[in-house]
Amino acid sequence: MIELIFFLLVGALLLLSLLFFTPGKPKGRKDAKPLAEVQQALDVLQFGLLSPDMVGRIFVKKDFDYVMSETTREVQRFFLAERRRLALAWVEQVHRQIVSLRRFHLGSARFYARLRFLSEMRLAWDFATVLFACRTLRAAVYLRGPYAAPRLVGATTAAAARVCGVSEKYLDFLRPARMMSFGDDSAGGSVE
Amino acid sequence: MIPINQRKPRRMEVVNAVEDLHRRTLSNMPRRLDRLIYLASTRDYNTGTYHHEGLASRFSEEVACEALAGCHGEAFRELISSDLRDLVQQLDEYRDSTHSSPGEFIALWRSLEPYRVTIPVGTDPLAAELLFSNIKIALAILETRRKVRPAAGPAA
Repeated sequence: MIELIFFLLVGALLLLSLLFFTPGKPKGRKDAKPLAEVQQALDVLQFGLLSPDMVGRIFVKKDFDYVMSETTREVQRFFLAERRRLALAWVEQVHRQIVSLRRFHLGSARFYARLRFLSEMRLAWDFATVLFACRTLRAAVYLRGPYAAPRLVGATTAAAARVCGVSEKYLDFLRPARMMSFGDDSAGGSVE
Repeated sequence: MIPINQRKPRRMEVVNAVEDLHRRTLSNMPRRLDRLIYLASTRDYNTGTYHHEGLASRFSEEVACEALAGCHGEAFRELISSDLRDLVQQLDEYRDSTHSSPGEFIALWRSLEPYRVTIPVGTDPLAAELLFSNIKIALAILETRRKVRPAAGPAA
């Protein structure tokens, strides 16, 4: 039953995100997010938030086991409060950076890349998955602490890494396109 | 003196300087915490540039600065990846090496939070917060240990 509700929610989110991705009237270039900012978001995600060191230290139970077995209740409470605070900050930051990448795809990427429908679908699904996972993980951490949903942490990290990989591809593609666009406003091409 | 940003040092020079720094200085500091504190102390807090007389005389000011900055970032990443048990031990041994009493050391580190200035420039805020949080927890653990096992008095 819970699985059914989960998949229905994911489905609803997917539909909503498809609406967001439906081609509309192109906006002016001034709305396009500068590539440098997108690169920064990617760096923050890939080298910081999603790095195994960071994810491991916040969510893996090794430190928890140590604290639970060798310290007082007071320290245990302090440790759990600190880890919960960090876990919530981590989810918040991942969510923010992913939203920033989505904005980039909705803006800049659409000017230059003629995405195939299937690619758009896959991308929309990836964004919907990671944003939904972030919200669910935030609720889980808030209600039950940082060690409540290790699989969800893995799923969030994997989905975010996928989105980063795709964004990186588009960014590499857009760099020469943007250079060309100085001479030709219609510069563009297709990705995949 | 040439401003730091005026000339970009060659990569090979920096690599050699890093090796030199490891061989002559950092290899004598087995604890990652000590390395982080030492490297942070070579940084000018007003300009963010690093200074090391010996390294600068063997290479140049710019090369020394870049090598120290690189090693500082590396020391920070290493410490972030330490588990809590290891950090508690490092902190306890570091405290021991300063010859200060546990009570004084813990009280001072809790109130002044000197570890906050050890973060390399440009560090991700969450990574910095993770280190601060771990140090606070480590201090709490050391404090409870101190209460359980008060410092031994002079031998009779």
